[in-house]
Amino acid sequence: MGTEGRILGIGPTDNTSDQRTPRQRLRLIPDAARESFVPVVPARYATRPHEWDMTRTGPDRPRADGVPIEVTGVVRTESGRPLAGALLEIWSANHHGRYRHVEDHSGLPLDENHLGLGRVLTDDAGCYRFWAISPGAYLARPDIGRWRPKHIHMSISGGSSRLITQMYFPDEPNNASDPMAILMGDGFERNIGKPRDVGPADVEEAFDFDIVVGGRNATFFE
Amino acid sequence: MSEAASNLLAATNEDTCGPYFPIYFADPALEDLTCVDPGLVAQAAGTPIILRGRVLDRHGELANGAILEFWQANAKGVYRTPATQEHEDIDPWFHGYGRLRTASGAYEFRTILPGATPGRAPNITITIFSDGISRVVTQVFFDDQAGNDTDPVLQAVGSDAAKLIACHDGRTASGAEVYVLDIVMAGPGETPFFDDLES
Repeated sequence: MGTEGRILGIGPTDNTSDQRTPRQRLRLIPDAARESFVPVVPARYATRPHEWDMTRTGPDRPRADGVPIEVTGVVRTESGRPLAGALLEIWSANHHGRYRHVEDHSGLPLDENHLGLGRVLTDDAGCYRFWAISPGAYLARPDIGRWRPKHIHMSISGGSSRLITQMYFPDEPNNASDPMAILMGDGFERNIGKPRDVGPADVEEAFDFDIVVGGRNATFFE
Repeated sequence: MSEAASNLLAATNEDTCGPYFPIYFADPALEDLTCVDPGLVAQAAGTPIILRGRVLDRHGELANGAILEFWQANAKGVYRTPATQEHEDIDPWFHGYGRLRTASGAYEFRTILPGATPGRAPNITITIFSDGISRVVTQVFFDDQAGNDTDPVLQAVGSDAAKLIACHDGRTASGAEVYVLDIVMAGPGETPFFDDLES
């Protein structure tokens, strides 16, 4: 346990980070209140059977444009316990870097076969698997030519484990200038999917992305 | 790094949810904890409340696209956790976890007034995700409740306590007591936030 709370970093060249990052040092939680800061997400089975395959809008629809990929991994807590029955909510841009979201006004092309939404549950060993289209990078700051590198958003919730993160891709030219990657420093490596053999899966690339939900909350009831 | 800490796996970095958290993932049952699902004869016990307000940025502008998650005890002051599954005061129709995404930055969460837990004033833990930041957490209290004066969290923030206390706005709406709290992410009037990694 630390003796004082963190001061949060502000993502370089990220205007929203400048607008929304608390400036004061985070407060330490008094011991008498510590347990009350451990939310426990009820088990929710808010998935539809086809949502693991984000390369199509439905099982009876064609593949979206771009490179279909498989992503697999294990979700664990810091102490190594697999997180079973956790809900992964996944979202990503299409091959062109466009989100099918009413607030994405980038003007980049949409793909009629791509939603970029998926939900899966981890199995008893904490394993997950989904297919997606390898997302496009997009120009986040046209005024300074700064891109957002390819990434897939993932939200993990289960029991007292809660994490929102992004999986990045290896050797991407825009990784080094990404504000959040800069804040992660050397630890950015842990947020990069590891390429592996595709095997029999009907995709062109495959990545392992093991997830460790950090912090005391995730291990509170172990 | 201590010996104990070195046995731990290195955590995946938290990251921003960005501006495009899918509205598709919204779950109405998590935005109104007073009822389990429309059409079911099932209702949480307690006083219905609406907690509403704005999430504001450093310039006083609405923080659009923020995700708020809520965590609270039931009306009898019991959290539903793995440790309380057999507790006699567990409400079968209340799990205490809520979530919403606010498109504009204004939010409204319908729930029941949490009961006091031992040594604590009634409160709701709020987790905030948004573009530009990773997860931040705080707790909100209610201005007309006993126990605020001696609550350890409110005492810990000292003169900032008022920034964590939602004010009853003097009316009811749709049968619920209405409380108002603005959350200021940064700058003048910044809401006190807590560090659950270092605490």
